[in-house]
Amino acid sequence: MRKYLFIFKSELMSNLQYVFNIFVGFFGYFIMLFILFNLWKYMYSDPNELINGYNMSQMTWYVIITEILWMTLGGRKLCRKICNDVRGGNIAYNLNKPYNYIGYCLSGHLGSIAIKGLIYTVLGMIMGFIFLGNFPDLNIFSILAVLITGILATAISILLITFIGLFSFIIEDANPFYWLYGKVILILGTVFPIEYFPTFLQPFLTFSPIYVVSYGPAKLFVDFSFGTFASVLLAQIIYLFIGYLLCTLMYRKGVKNLNVNGG
Amino acid sequence: MAIIEVNNLSKTFKVKLKEKGLKGSLKSIFKPKYKVIKAVKNINFEVEKGEMIAFIGPNGAGKSTTIKMLTGILYPDKGDIKVLDIDPKKERKKLAYNIGTVFGQKEQLWTHLTPYDNFKFFGAIYDIPEVRVEKKINELKELFELDEFINTPVRNLSLGQRIRCEIVASLIHEPKVLFLDEPTIGLDPVVKENIRTLIKRMNKEYKTTIFLTSHDVGDIEKLCKRVIIINNGQVVLDDSMENLKYHYLNKKIVEAKMKEKVNLDDEEGITILKDKGYNLKIEVDTKKRSVADALKLLNPDNIVDINISNMPLEDIISTIYKNEADK
Repeated sequence: MRKYLFIFKSELMSNLQYVFNIFVGFFGYFIMLFILFNLWKYMYSDPNELINGYNMSQMTWYVIITEILWMTLGGRKLCRKICNDVRGGNIAYNLNKPYNYIGYCLSGHLGSIAIKGLIYTVLGMIMGFIFLGNFPDLNIFSILAVLITGILATAISILLITFIGLFSFIIEDANPFYWLYGKVILILGTVFPIEYFPTFLQPFLTFSPIYVVSYGPAKLFVDFSFGTFASVLLAQIIYLFIGYLLCTLMYRKGVKNLNVNGG
Repeated sequence: MAIIEVNNLSKTFKVKLKEKGLKGSLKSIFKPKYKVIKAVKNINFEVEKGEMIAFIGPNGAGKSTTIKMLTGILYPDKGDIKVLDIDPKKERKKLAYNIGTVFGQKEQLWTHLTPYDNFKFFGAIYDIPEVRVEKKINELKELFELDEFINTPVRNLSLGQRIRCEIVASLIHEPKVLFLDEPTIGLDPVVKENIRTLIKRMNKEYKTTIFLTSHDVGDIEKLCKRVIIINNGQVVLDDSMENLKYHYLNKKIVEAKMKEKVNLDDEEGITILKDKGYNLKIEVDTKKRSVADALKLLNPDNIVDINISNMPLEDIISTIYKNEADK
């Protein structure tokens, strides 16, 4: 475990060089939220009106949380890096190091986005408060629950994206698959909560990764209940296990057939 | 006891073929064609503990593929490998704790971090207790003279300094075998010499077995006592450096500056390497002709200056590569 903490720490230290870039990147987040905030304002004639169980404040906070999770993730960069590692043969140099590659990707990427996550969370909260003038009803338990599920959501996303990236062992370039994944998460998981979708679609979404990577933590933030927390946490543990298993199987199969020419 | 044992090792690669142009590209999607390349063909060798061995060959000879199989990066198709009695194919992780690798063309250090932080990182990766890592860093800092830049981010180091740090990073876990793949590539002659001295010192101090590949004859000549030459995936020579030179010592290079122009042609035992009128460079095969014979051909009274030397190791190796390619 110590080695993965060190990988996390090393990536964190490396990424401290880019704090300014994170602030610049936040501008995009601000624009996105500003547009959505105005959209909800237009949709809700009365801020206390409930649409599919959410009032205007809850909808805005929901998007603030899902967008923090999505924009912090840096999924495109991770997928591109793994694709390049596989195609360029760089992945081979990880093989003779005594660590697990999947663990390396997970702890390394978590380290590389930790500062960004922290900055986006603080600025996102400030922005939400400026837009709405209040926070949802929170207590120490709900804050902890959101933090835990938020970190687990990010870890699951990293594993799923690693799995997509490792597809480069089979096909030449897995980036288009990431593009598709990104769009599905954006449309079905970021802007609207699951309750907004047609009834027949909701069970599918509940069992899909959307429930654990975006809906869960955001729902807990806007409407905390121990029941929801337990079901989100359980689903996240199952998804973590599945994600890790898929990545390990794909990686093992890939490195067996690895061709690294030249030198 | 041999620390590295390689028996009947073979490795083939499947390379995709593509015909030229758009038509070829489309065809390769629906009906891909592959070519099988035999990168390593049935090679055998052993390396003893504490040896510094040069594993050399021209580009595409199979040396990097062999190193990658020895370090567990690639799986062999056939044959057996034992490094420190560990099979790299079956126990890659166990092997990783006992070997070190430096690939001159591949950075393993974190460029935004200082060498010190990098060394701490490698210590953690290899599960070494903090106190021991600190002690090892201090020891290697002295040995590799890193004091001046140990707290400077790696991205700000010169290539020579970086390579020194790369080697130190690969030694933190006290490996018994160190694989160096072109460690002096791109370095200037002074820095190269410095790196060689440090490698020698390390070998002497820790008795680390060193398996070196390099295109730089200086590395091979100054560091290794034994050389294995690989070409077209096969071992074409496995001998001591002394023997290698001795067998080729029958070839002498005569460089002469003449008073008057001499017209010489190749003949048995004598090869004209360079003829610039007044300046001549000839190779004499002393098995066939004596150096005195060659001098007679030049006419000693006509010679202003002369230098007779052994064939440089670089030429010896090139000749071996060429002879094997011609076979």
